[in-house]
Amino acid sequence: MKKLVKEFTKGIIKENPTFVLALGLCPTLAVSVSVANAIGMGVAATFVLLGSSVIISLVKGFIPGKIRIPCFIVIIATFVTITELCLKAYSPVLDRALGIYVPLIVVNCIVLGRAEAFACRNNLASAFFDGLGMGVGFTLALILISAIREVLGSGKILGHTLVNGFEPVFVFGMPSGALLVIGLLLGLFNLIKNRKT
Amino acid sequence: MNIQQFLGIFISSVFIYNVILSRFLGLCPFVAISKDTRQAFAMSAAVTFVITASSVVTWFIYRFLLLPFNLAYLRTLSFVLVIAALVQLIEMVIKKASPVLYRAFGIYLTLITTNCAVLGAAVLNVDMFFANGKPVPGSFYYSLFQGFCMGLGYTLAMLIMSGIRERLEFCNVPKAMRDFPLAFVIASVLSLSFMGFSGFKF
Amino acid sequence: MRNNLIVSGSPHIHKNESVPRIMWTVVLSTIPAGIAGIIIFVIDALWVILAAVAAAVLTEAVFEVLTGRKITAADGSAVITGILLAYNLPPNVPLWMPVVGAAFSIAIGKQVFGGLGQNIFNPALIGRVFLMASWPRYMTTFTRPFSYDAVTSATPLAALKEGKVLEHLSYLDMFLGRRGGCIGEVCILALLIGAAILLIKGYISWHIPVSYILTTAIFTYVFGASQLFHGDWLFHILNGGLILGAFFMATDYVATPLTIRGQFIFGIGCGLLTAIIRIWGGYPEGVSYAILMMNAASPFIDRYTKNRIYGTK
Repeated sequence: MKKLVKEFTKGIIKENPTFVLALGLCPTLAVSVSVANAIGMGVAATFVLLGSSVIISLVKGFIPGKIRIPCFIVIIATFVTITELCLKAYSPVLDRALGIYVPLIVVNCIVLGRAEAFACRNNLASAFFDGLGMGVGFTLALILISAIREVLGSGKILGHTLVNGFEPVFVFGMPSGALLVIGLLLGLFNLIKNRKT
Repeated sequence: MNIQQFLGIFISSVFIYNVILSRFLGLCPFVAISKDTRQAFAMSAAVTFVITASSVVTWFIYRFLLLPFNLAYLRTLSFVLVIAALVQLIEMVIKKASPVLYRAFGIYLTLITTNCAVLGAAVLNVDMFFANGKPVPGSFYYSLFQGFCMGLGYTLAMLIMSGIRERLEFCNVPKAMRDFPLAFVIASVLSLSFMGFSGFKF
Repeated sequence: MRNNLIVSGSPHIHKNESVPRIMWTVVLSTIPAGIAGIIIFVIDALWVILAAVAAAVLTEAVFEVLTGRKITAADGSAVITGILLAYNLPPNVPLWMPVVGAAFSIAIGKQVFGGLGQNIFNPALIGRVFLMASWPRYMTTFTRPFSYDAVTSATPLAALKEGKVLEHLSYLDMFLGRRGGCIGEVCILALLIGAAILLIKGYISWHIPVSYILTTAIFTYVFGASQLFHGDWLFHILNGGLILGAFFMATDYVATPLTIRGQFIFGIGCGLLTAIIRIWGGYPEGVSYAILMMNAASPFIDRYTKNRIYGTK
């Protein structure tokens, strides 16, 4: 039980996929304009991670080593397609906001990375909690970045105005602002890491 | 289909919606391999080639396989497999045909399989140049050209970045900002300056 | 300046040059344009300049204390960044804008790269494009010259972009600065006085400014009007930030190529990009974007124009 808790929590801080492993940055930057988009993306990616981790850990005995990567990709792509169709059916607004970044979850390095590094060599329960932890870690990182960008870039959070009279810094709603925020955040985490040691 | 539209595609996919600086596709190699100009160039050449080739192949798949059989929902799955197979094929051909070329950018080809820029270009082409399940006039040429231009945009960003990072080797960058963080800050400034191209009219 | 790098046999004469000395001379050379700006746009312009300079020096000092580096805030380089940023702002912006812009210029444009002499881009221009992207409304509202109640008017370039022509402006008006525009860019006469100081002292060379301005002139002459070879090239030279940019910002020591061949490429590239953005782009003015893009390319230009070391391939 203790081990499972550890599998879950490691993805949130110690091996946070975004900030520590620097994986899956493309969607992180692209959809973090607003917190709502970030949560949508986080949930979608977590679903794919969870589903593919579970299935891969179940069928790992049947997959020949040599063609394991294509097999993983097919499994992942299946879950991505499910997500795409669900989004289109139940939340067309979010689907339009996330755009091409939903199909691109398929090549998100976090998903394939966990499949290759963890799910294909661990049992079902561990794979489940690992996938969940990584998904939650990814979602939290996305929420952090998007909160910074939304507050600075539009003066709002989840659509609610925070301070009256604040002149929004439009640049944070633009691609350039996304790159700046991630660059400075990575620098900040380095600084904290350096202080500790 | 006229020259203006091609010019528009060129400006928007090389500068305004640059694959890396604005669409954030293919960021991992952008920060990982951009430390050395020679490597950056080999990687970008490989990416440009694969994006262009896959734009063509995925257009045919979508137009003549997925659309007629009402399988458009299999787009993601089929594209990713086709791209993986295509990259393998290119790798094998190059290995046989030109060992020199293979040594120059062979290892980068394997990395490209999961490069989001390639799949992104394919999905984007389909989104932009197919309307209501039908290709728009000139769709094939637009897809081909946009794929190639996205590759050019990738090359441009990679080369600029590698030039800057080679110079940074001699700079006294604060410890916490070294490597990744500074690479992102530079990319941010590049993205700001490419905004000068927004709103182009001919 | 390049030829002075040839080292001859001893005895060598010591010349009393140092970084602060050069930097303060550059500050001096920017003063005529500043005075002109204050005369033309009244006292508002002075507050903008002071706010930007103070914020730039303060940010530099704070950063250097925090990172434990040598304090160089008084060497004049931060002052130049502040002044150049202010010169690129409209005279009636709210005062927090030069402050935020200057802090951004110094922090992101200079200090993260390691401080003086290591910046890849011109810091003042980074501040300007940041402000332009963040608060475009303030950055594109200009006051009419010599108006005490801050009546707004379009700059000649912006009017041209909208298809209007400001008819009452003569070339002499533009040369002296009787037009709407940014604080330091309007008075060409004052800018040329400053540029002359820098050229005579040998702190900048003529290669970049001349190739930059010439390229812009030729390109706007050829493509500037609906008919080829009918563009008003003099209008394009005298308007916008071309003169300010060409002499004071495209000549940044560290962010430009080292060889003369590289500097010509740099100048021509800036000229082409400026003219292209002015004629076909969405913005009326492209000087800052052009210089930043060429700054980004200059390590690359250096790589392919560097002189061959004797005896190597």
